[in-house]
Amino acid sequence: MYELLLAGIIDIAQFKYLIPLFMGTLVGVIGGALPGVTITMTIIVVLPFTYGLDPLQGLAAMTGVYVGGSAGGLVTATLLGIPGTPSAIATTFDGFPMARRGEAGRALWLGIWASFFGGLIGGVFLVATTGPLAAFALQFGPWEFFSLFIFALSMVAGLTGSSIIKGLLSGAIGLVVTIMGNDPVMGAKRLTLGIGFLEGGISFLPVLIGVFAFAQIMTDIEKRQAAGAAAAAVARTIKLTVSHVKVVAEILKKPFLLLWTSFIGLLIGVLPAIGGSAASVMAYDQAKKLSRHPEKFGTGTPEGIIASESSNNANVGGSLVTIMAFGIPGDAVTAVMLGAMTIHGIQSGPLFMTQQSKLAYGIFAAYIVAHVLMVLIFALGARFMLGITRVPQSTLIPVVLVLCTVGSYALSNVMGDVYVLLLFGMLGYAMVKFDIPLAPLILGVILGDQIEINLIRAIMTDANVWLFVTRPISGVLLGLSVASVVVALWQQRRHRKRNPNAADDRADF
Amino acid sequence: MGRDSIAGLVCLAASLGLLAATIGLPGPNLLVPVGPGFYPRIILGVTAVLALALIISDVINHRRKTDTPAATATAATTAAPNYGLVAATFVIFMLYVAALPYVGFRLSTLVFVAALQSTLKPPRSIKQAIIVAITALVTTVVIYILFERYLVVLLPRGRWTDF
Repeated sequence: MYELLLAGIIDIAQFKYLIPLFMGTLVGVIGGALPGVTITMTIIVVLPFTYGLDPLQGLAAMTGVYVGGSAGGLVTATLLGIPGTPSAIATTFDGFPMARRGEAGRALWLGIWASFFGGLIGGVFLVATTGPLAAFALQFGPWEFFSLFIFALSMVAGLTGSSIIKGLLSGAIGLVVTIMGNDPVMGAKRLTLGIGFLEGGISFLPVLIGVFAFAQIMTDIEKRQAAGAAAAAVARTIKLTVSHVKVVAEILKKPFLLLWTSFIGLLIGVLPAIGGSAASVMAYDQAKKLSRHPEKFGTGTPEGIIASESSNNANVGGSLVTIMAFGIPGDAVTAVMLGAMTIHGIQSGPLFMTQQSKLAYGIFAAYIVAHVLMVLIFALGARFMLGITRVPQSTLIPVVLVLCTVGSYALSNVMGDVYVLLLFGMLGYAMVKFDIPLAPLILGVILGDQIEINLIRAIMTDANVWLFVTRPISGVLLGLSVASVVVALWQQRRHRKRNPNAADDRADF
Repeated sequence: MGRDSIAGLVCLAASLGLLAATIGLPGPNLLVPVGPGFYPRIILGVTAVLALALIISDVINHRRKTDTPAATATAATTAAPNYGLVAATFVIFMLYVAALPYVGFRLSTLVFVAALQSTLKPPRSIKQAIIVAITALVTTVVIYILFERYLVVLLPRGRWTDF
């Protein structure tokens, strides 16, 4: 295992891989630092640039975006009090007060180094657990895979949004998208509605780009705002120089806090759809509960910054475990990565670790090296990044929309994919307005074909449908699916009783 | 009728319409014990049931709200959403998508970027108008060169312009 990892690091250290990884990390850090631009949006913008690259180059760039984006949010969170990404929300609680009392450099670098160490802990977990989990998943038959995908879908439906019915409906709409076009077993045309480009089915990447990009862009356009002036003023006045030895020592003097909050991030990363923001807030909460001075939280205590930033970067490692071992994207960013893999003809899932071990260990290596590059990028350009937040949305939005169009068109050089982008862009925005969560739809689109294939395979092997329940792993997974829906219903009722007039938003994707 | 009822009705109508469209699909054969319509019917049936559940839950919630005394209105301190700008953005993007196969990537992107920038933040001086034009030109040229020359991705050519 470690020989393969070393070989992966040697591969990644070559210029042909290091440059895309560096560029991805840089773009990720900038995208993360820009308030209103999420990591999902950044990776969607980067996606079309990876089409012409070889698989490891493309995936290295995307891994860089993910790592850089998860850390980039802390720049504006600490210096402006505005989280650049949702996963940096908890960083503002103590980062901004610390910066305001004149310790901006310390606040920023505590976050950067905590992200680095949290990310490395995530790397150890990623390398150590992906292989064994994939080996375990290799024992799965079609019954277990079917139940696993249903579990993932029901969990996402239950965790995102304010209503379990809406979550499940969103997932079902995603599955409906996959039944259009040729059926995956017999190849018969179905539900094409006489539309030519539907005959080959709907590619999931234009759906994903349309739904997420438009939902966010149009929501931003609705309530246009700019943090530019504040950013410009802060960029000119703050002092970011700091003793790195002191900052690193400050973090490493709290090993239990670092390990525990990174573990929380990892665990939440492994579970689909909960996301970096929940990881960061939960880790912050844990750090506060375990602290001898909980009253200091919110006033600029270093523990708060360490907890939030170590957990959100460890979260990335956890999400990569899920996609590489089971082929299930843990969040929207890994969903785009899954799409990039599909474009290059790579099937993620349990066989990926054995059939594409060079690529798998290349991704592990890219993940680890990206953290080193992230620190380097911050060291060279933290002040510049703050200045970049002045770029107005009126300039960014048209460029992002052009890149979304190119990203969809270049998939197979047909306009049909651009029409799908437009259609699902409108649907995504409408779903936001109707308060229907987007994550279950995307997971439904990604898993739909696999759910059908495994269901039919299981029935072809044995017509006894009770096997889905009586086979131990499958039965447990289906039981967990039911439990996740019941728990979500219970939470929803409890929430409504406590806040009869409140609209809730619990998770991000 | 509440917002959820409208969403539910749309989903219910769409799923029932598609369910009807599965009627003509071929049945099972010797190799595959279930036909290509088997799985879509399950999915569309589940979607219809969920859509119906959404409508029912919305109706029940509405009744509850009318039965209980009105809650104190929350202060509407946030600005009203700018739906006009959203609609304009959608229209400009639709025109861009429609123009792509006829005018080609380069011309349509140039016009699209300039038009959308001007819509989102209308230029108030000649200097700002020049910045809009330069941004549109740079965006088009950089994306074109990057994708066509270095990433070997062919971008749409115009049927009318051959450009």
